[in-house]
Amino acid sequence: MNNIKIVVAEASYLIQKGLGAILKKLGDNLIVQEMDKAEGLFESFSSFNPDILILNPDLFESSTELLKEDCAKLGDCKLVIISNGEELESKYSADAFLHYNDGQAKIISCLEGLKDELIKKNKKENSSEPISAREKNILKHIALGLTNKEIADQLFISIHTVVTHRKNITHKLGIKSVSGLTVYAILNDLIAMDEVK
Amino acid sequence: MRITKDMKMADVIQMNYMLIPVIHRFGINLGFGDKTVKEICEETQVDLNFFLQLVNTYHDKDYFPKEELQSIPSKDLVAYLKMTHSCYLNDKLSEIEDLIVALQHTESEDKKYILLIKDFYEAYKNEMTEHIIHEEEVVFPYVLAVEEICKTGVISEKNQKIYDSFSILKYQDVHDDVEEKLMDLRIIMIKYLTPPLDASLYHKIIQTLFILEQDLSYHSRIENKVLIPKIVGMEKIISEMN
Repeated sequence: MNNIKIVVAEASYLIQKGLGAILKKLGDNLIVQEMDKAEGLFESFSSFNPDILILNPDLFESSTELLKEDCAKLGDCKLVIISNGEELESKYSADAFLHYNDGQAKIISCLEGLKDELIKKNKKENSSEPISAREKNILKHIALGLTNKEIADQLFISIHTVVTHRKNITHKLGIKSVSGLTVYAILNDLIAMDEVK
Repeated sequence: MRITKDMKMADVIQMNYMLIPVIHRFGINLGFGDKTVKEICEETQVDLNFFLQLVNTYHDKDYFPKEELQSIPSKDLVAYLKMTHSCYLNDKLSEIEDLIVALQHTESEDKKYILLIKDFYEAYKNEMTEHIIHEEEVVFPYVLAVEEICKTGVISEKNQKIYDSFSILKYQDVHDDVEEKLMDLRIIMIKYLTPPLDASLYHKIIQTLFILEQDLSYHSRIENKVLIPKIVGMEKIISEMN
């Protein structure tokens, strides 16, 4: 399972750190990013790509509409609203709501629930199966030192398809560099050692 | 826990052994008895503020005093980075290489994979060495020139030449993929290879890879999050000067 990326957007230092400590109980594979300002929050998502956003609407002060707009663009990212007030459920459509006076059990079970959902979804998307025959073939070509374009031409597929295959291969094997993939290919007898240029 | 000037240096090291090579790069040797961080820094003429910022950055990955670190003169940062470079070149890189060579001499049914690892590592080492040389010969002189221009407000002929020949943005581009290879090696050794019967050497290589990787990531954190933003800011000032 890949790391789950969480953004905690909360102005109060105490609450932010408190949430951070609670999140640590959920497991090791969490990357938590803290934000204490509204500026740049949603902009940073394009690079960070969080799975969960825990957000205090107070950060946006009065601009509820603006916030709703931004939240609507979150896509796959789960939204958790944290607040002191009770009336927010009707105001925002979020995946979960947390209140300042929630107990440990409630907060943890809420976050565990979101985490499980994410894990389930991830499992469906990229099964940890070994690489397919098709991918093996592509990998062989990569190991031989061919460029994406050359592979596309030889196999009569689009460059885009080659790139997608490459991404999946790297994802499944955990190896990123071409030379690393080459070592894998040799170890698994996809190519012979003396074929490598 | 934050490392402070009144802590005993020995306690600092007890707390985190990864700091041993770091203090060594400052020219501080072990055997400090009960002396405090402050006393040791005074003795070895190390800037206390810089030292504290840096060891805390290493020690606690959430601690990142960007602003304080950015206030440290590039000259000192560069001097420190150069020290870590020479540590990589002289010790770390060859240490792993020696271990891999030793692995070649162990009894093993499958010599093929050891050769593969060795070649892979050689390629990594060459790339890393090239990267370091590039930083020392191109990037650091550029950084120092930019700082001098900013400080004095004058562009000498020599500095103008250096300034025109490079831009820190070019550096940002090539910075990411050196660590990738090191990670791949570790993953290959953990996931896809069967170690020889006597596995202790094999294990040691993996452990050493982990430590090098961690050290490198701290090193590049300082380059990426402190040095580069600092120079980007200075470039802006200079371009407004003209």
